Amino acid sequence: MSAARFLTPRIVVGGALIAALVLVAIFAPLIAPNDPEAQELLYVLLPPAWAPGGDAAFPLGTDSLGRCIASRLVFGTRVALTVALTAATGAMVLGTLLALLAGYFGGRIDWLVSRAVDTWMSFPPVILALILLVGLGAGVDKVILAIIIVDWTRFARVIRSEVLVVRRRDYIAAARLAGFSHLAVLAREVLPAVAPLVITLLSLEMGIAVIVEATMSFVGLSVESDVAAWGVMIADARRSMYQAPWGVVLPTAAIFLTVLGFNLLGDGLRPALDPSLRTRGAR
Amino acid sequence: MLLVALRILFFRLLVAVPTLIAVSALVFVILRLLPADPAAMSLPPGATAEDLARLRAALGLDRSIPEQYLIWLGDLLSGDFGISIYFRRPVADLVSTALPNTLELVLSGLLLGVIVGVAGGLLMFRARGGRGEEALDVVSSAMMSIPEFLWALLLILAFGVAVPLLPFIGRMAPGMMTPPGVTGFLLLDSLIAGRLDVFFSLLLHLVLPAVALAIALAPLIMRVLRASLVEVAGDDFVTQARLRGLSEQRILFAHTLPNAALPTISLIGVQAGFMFGGTVLVEVIFGYPGLGNLIVDAVRNHDLPVIQLVALVYCVLVLAINAAVEVIYLLVNPRLRTH
Repeated sequence: MSAARFLTPRIVVGGALIAALVLVAIFAPLIAPNDPEAQELLYVLLPPAWAPGGDAAFPLGTDSLGRCIASRLVFGTRVALTVALTAATGAMVLGTLLALLAGYFGGRIDWLVSRAVDTWMSFPPVILALILLVGLGAGVDKVILAIIIVDWTRFARVIRSEVLVVRRRDYIAAARLAGFSHLAVLAREVLPAVAPLVITLLSLEMGIAVIVEATMSFVGLSVESDVAAWGVMIADARRSMYQAPWGVVLPTAAIFLTVLGFNLLGDGLRPALDPSLRTRGAR
Repeated sequence: MLLVALRILFFRLLVAVPTLIAVSALVFVILRLLPADPAAMSLPPGATAEDLARLRAALGLDRSIPEQYLIWLGDLLSGDFGISIYFRRPVADLVSTALPNTLELVLSGLLLGVIVGVAGGLLMFRARGGRGEEALDVVSSAMMSIPEFLWALLLILAFGVAVPLLPFIGRMAPGMMTPPGVTGFLLLDSLIAGRLDVFFSLLLHLVLPAVALAIALAPLIMRVLRASLVEVAGDDFVTQARLRGLSEQRILFAHTLPNAALPTISLIGVQAGFMFGGTVLVEVIFGYPGLGNLIVDAVRNHDLPVIQLVALVYCVLVLAINAAVEVIYLLVNPRLRTH
């Protein structure tokens, strides 16, 4: 295990982006120049500090209620990363568990899981999430739940077919013959074999979760309307985008950088973690 | 050949029926978890408890959920799609005006995305191994990290506000009359009516939303096509074609591309289904009167009859596209034909 194979440009850039965002989220109160909720009605729609008419007290300008855009962006990382972490992990646990059971045991449980995946896949994910939020009610916790319920299939579909391949390998049969229980085989032989794929999917799913949360807060179905979340900021700024385009551009850039970070990390981790892909690349 | 395709299409659609029933039941049950009472919300202030009970009975909300589902399914099969609680119009009317608009948008986005994606994939393949490929790789990664609705906002800022080139609100210029409905597809109807001014207005209003959808699709096509082109390019028949003295151009278009097209076709199929999801917010942002705008309005107002039908229509569209792609896949892949 050398560390060098993790030092690819994708992993370094993606990892640095995500690490920076995590730090910003943790130290948000120290970094933000102002209170993200404070309304300065005398300073409405200020441009960024470097533009003509900007004010150094508001480095990235203010929104239509005179709130500091920089501070709201900084606190917005908290919402985005919380949702990314919890929702993606939840979807991973549910999807991987069902995929392991379906792929390993086959039979009726495989039929059931596969039919559920088919049903889920016959829907655009956004539509299913919208319907769930009607049923569950709005709120960021409901958005997290909705992402888990919608996106577990992304894990289940891919990992199930991987488990189907792994299950037929000789060392699985050997483990069974050595007297391991099904549970022990699943946990100690099958799960480690599919783990690289799970981690890759997890990173990509975090990016998807950030987008879904932004989408739902844009429509007004996620956080309370006064909480600083990127989607809310975009929805607010949209009404004044003719006078103040930066109100839309800055949160869009924040979403872009976050999703890009997770995507680069996911793309980069796949070859680094998967021994079979590595040898193929070396040939 | 055609007969085989039709038989498979028919079989796929038959298989889709249980999925549709499962989806409709799923949607119905989820919506009945609703904490708010849609009947209470649609009554004017000052309504009495009796008014509420009467409305609930009229809407069938006082029955058990399985009962409500069976009644709804029965109505659906007999062509009664219900009345919108919020718009107070038949849901069928709302959907039949919105659906052609969404289809026009998705088809334009798909066409544009495929053209740009295939061109980009060929370009990446031609530039393989060089700086150009790396640059295209980075650009495509970046393009994929912005969802459709943010592209929509950025496009409005760039081509609607900063450089006002294109319209970005609604389906056609304000004040224009909808051409008489023959097909429901406004582009066709305006041509049939001979109203070229309306046609061009419709077309211009379609540009930015379609580009927003296409930008999300193109980089995926680029990457998959590039990967399969690289794989096929190492095959013996390509080397043989080269030894026969064919031009590189000829080899690419007559030999490599046809053999590398399959993964791209199935990707386009999957993504076309997802594109209907992408239209939802894009339509909201452009004020485009399609299914996406309709369902978001319905969601905001807890308009259950509309949500149910629109969700089902989306499901039918995705299943139909999947079936169509499977048939196309079969038609172009000789290896699968004998089965």
